[in-house]
Amino acid sequence: MSALDRAALRDLVTRIAAEPERWRGLVRHDTPERHFEQLWRDDTVDVWVITWTNGNDTGFHDHDVSSGAVAVVEGELIEERLVMGGAPRRLHHVAGETFDFDASHVHRMRQDSAAPAVSIHAYSPPLWRMGAYSVEPDGTLRRESISYAEELRPVAAA
Amino acid sequence: MVNRFSEPVHTTPVATAIDIHQHLWPEPLLRALSERREPPRLVRAAEGWTLRLAGEPDAPVDLADHDPDRRAALAEADGLGRVLIAPSVPLGIEALPARQAEPLLEAYHAGLAALPAPFGGWAAIGTDAPDPDALARRLDEGFAGACVAAESLAGPAGYERLGPLLETLERAEAPLLVHPGRAAAPRGAPPWWGALTGYVAAMQEAWYAFAAWGRPAHPRLRVCFAMLAGLAPLHRERLTARGGRADADPGVFLGVSSYGDRAVDAVVREIGVDQLVFGSDRPVVAPRELSLGDAVRAAIRERNPARLLSAAGVEAAA
Repeated sequence: MSALDRAALRDLVTRIAAEPERWRGLVRHDTPERHFEQLWRDDTVDVWVITWTNGNDTGFHDHDVSSGAVAVVEGELIEERLVMGGAPRRLHHVAGETFDFDASHVHRMRQDSAAPAVSIHAYSPPLWRMGAYSVEPDGTLRRESISYAEELRPVAAA
Repeated sequence: MVNRFSEPVHTTPVATAIDIHQHLWPEPLLRALSERREPPRLVRAAEGWTLRLAGEPDAPVDLADHDPDRRAALAEADGLGRVLIAPSVPLGIEALPARQAEPLLEAYHAGLAALPAPFGGWAAIGTDAPDPDALARRLDEGFAGACVAAESLAGPAGYERLGPLLETLERAEAPLLVHPGRAAAPRGAPPWWGALTGYVAAMQEAWYAFAAWGRPAHPRLRVCFAMLAGLAPLHRERLTARGGRADADPGVFLGVSSYGDRAVDAVVREIGVDQLVFGSDRPVVAPRELSLGDAVRAAIRERNPARLLSAAGVEAAA
């Protein structure tokens, strides 16, 4: 199976966002952490619905070999793109908006308003490994290779 | 300062780590095997006990490996709250004529039922005269599910023969464990030969047979394939290239026995982490700690085995 390109991923999340009967029942506003539910995974693509509360924050990360697209269906998400030597570039994505990115993209997603947010995410090839970034006190940037499970199947949900 | 995770670390609820695949020959089974005069049997030799199987060289058996107290201590050291004992299918007990198999199967089940915590077990299935009523009784007694040899579910004939047993499992919402059976080895082959040849082929065949005949006949059955189904999921590109379909099946699980980080991570890439379960195959091999991170560890040792063993868990995740 070939991977979906960014346009196809964006089209996919747009269509799924328009079909709330597929995911509405999986939205959880009663957990302190982000809540993840996988809607689909096959050879080509995986699709998730994520609920954000309490200013949930991913930290800076990449998606290794996967491209992705996100449709915000409720609330507002802030995306920050890492800029070396400067402040992160900040974008606001509100309900009804979609955005996409390729595998070279490094970003951080957070929910930063009183109202919870819900978003539909698709990745192709399906998420496998991710890069998680941190900055040492001396400014050194570090990348740790993590399983996608670390982000989307966190221990706290066990 | 950019933190990797700027969210607070929340206390993880205490979950039970489960090993769904160990072997232990309980005392009644050891006695029954030692009383036999033909294979499979245990023979007392000058250097200790040996296992004699038809057509295979004698293999030494360390009875300490089957000491429940010692094994319970090992389980505790491994951080396991529950250990499911599977029948040692390669001994060939299940395939014996029913008259010979029954006393051995009775000894296995009675012995397992008497084991203390953290042990539970998979019911064994005599394939000469499959008995769904006996299986239903075992499930009532607390056995987690049933274990069969991969070879016995390699095609439509196997599914026809064992169909009533699989229906019993479905009705009881209990899972099936598919375990490698016997594997032939050429004379003089190294001891690992069967585990790397016949086992792999048989598990792959059983994997494809389940998709082709098992799932259509048993839509609600949860099934776990030991040893990552011989890495069958890694052949999906080849499967689709040859015109097959690689549909996702959330009711299918894969035990990680004898595999490590590279193979497990490769299977995660193919099917994700949600269908992998910890099954160590102790004492055949020592459990291997994976280095794929705490989230993978929790999924494989806690969350996924609980879903394999509980119908409610799979439905909630589907």
